[in-house]
Amino acid sequence: MSHFGLMVLYALAVSLFFALLWRDEARERLRLFLQLFLGLVLGAVLVAYLMYSVPSGPPAPIP
Amino acid sequence: MATDDPVRDEPEADEPEIEEPEAEAAEIEVPEDSAALAETTTEDSAPPYPPRGTPWKAALLAWLMPGLGHLYTGRWLRGLVFAAIVLALIFGGCSLDGKLWRPAGNPLDVGPGTVSAFLTALSVGMGLPYAALLVAGYRGLVISQGYEYGTTFLLTAALMNLLLVFDARDLSLGRKP
Repeated sequence: MSHFGLMVLYALAVSLFFALLWRDEARERLRLFLQLFLGLVLGAVLVAYLMYSVPSGPPAPIP
Repeated sequence: MATDDPVRDEPEADEPEIEEPEAEAAEIEVPEDSAALAETTTEDSAPPYPPRGTPWKAALLAWLMPGLGHLYTGRWLRGLVFAAIVLALIFGGCSLDGKLWRPAGNPLDVGPGTVSAFLTALSVGMGLPYAALLVAGYRGLVISQGYEYGTTFLLTAALMNLLLVFDARDLSLGRKP
């Protein structure tokens, strides 16, 4: 699976977990789930876009 | 005579300022209706939902196995969903060869030993799955492509299970529906 796919999977699990943990009503759960999921995915895309301008260095040595 | 007047005036000006806190303290010490106060405190301490089970048992079961504390308190669907999420993260973390933190070095040495001790303590929050992975000899593979993601998955699963411990305890005490 690609890095983006893993990130989406991670965001899905975290959003579902906290929506179930922190909210009691179905409508509020759905709202928090969408807020968390979109915030994580779109936030990661935004950070990745900003980091694109930063040149990457040589690969780190394998210990 | 002119120099004495300001000296005499200063203490007189300070006197009301000193008396003000005493007046406030006296206002605080005025006893209110103790019966009404007792009623409000007992109402606040009463759980809003019916308590179920023993709190320490719920917390212990929740720590041992993800979702088990919720099953113990009668929240079957929620417990099964929580168990599925946490176990899926653990399984995914192991599939990605993430690192399973275990004690390494002296935890009192500031540096890698302290970090290792902290993350090991956090990982123990997984409960029995952590013990099962230790017994199976799982360590993780640092050269794997999914090493960082796998480590993140495993640590997140442990943190989630610790949060479930507190949630199961609150459910048992009747603090949550």
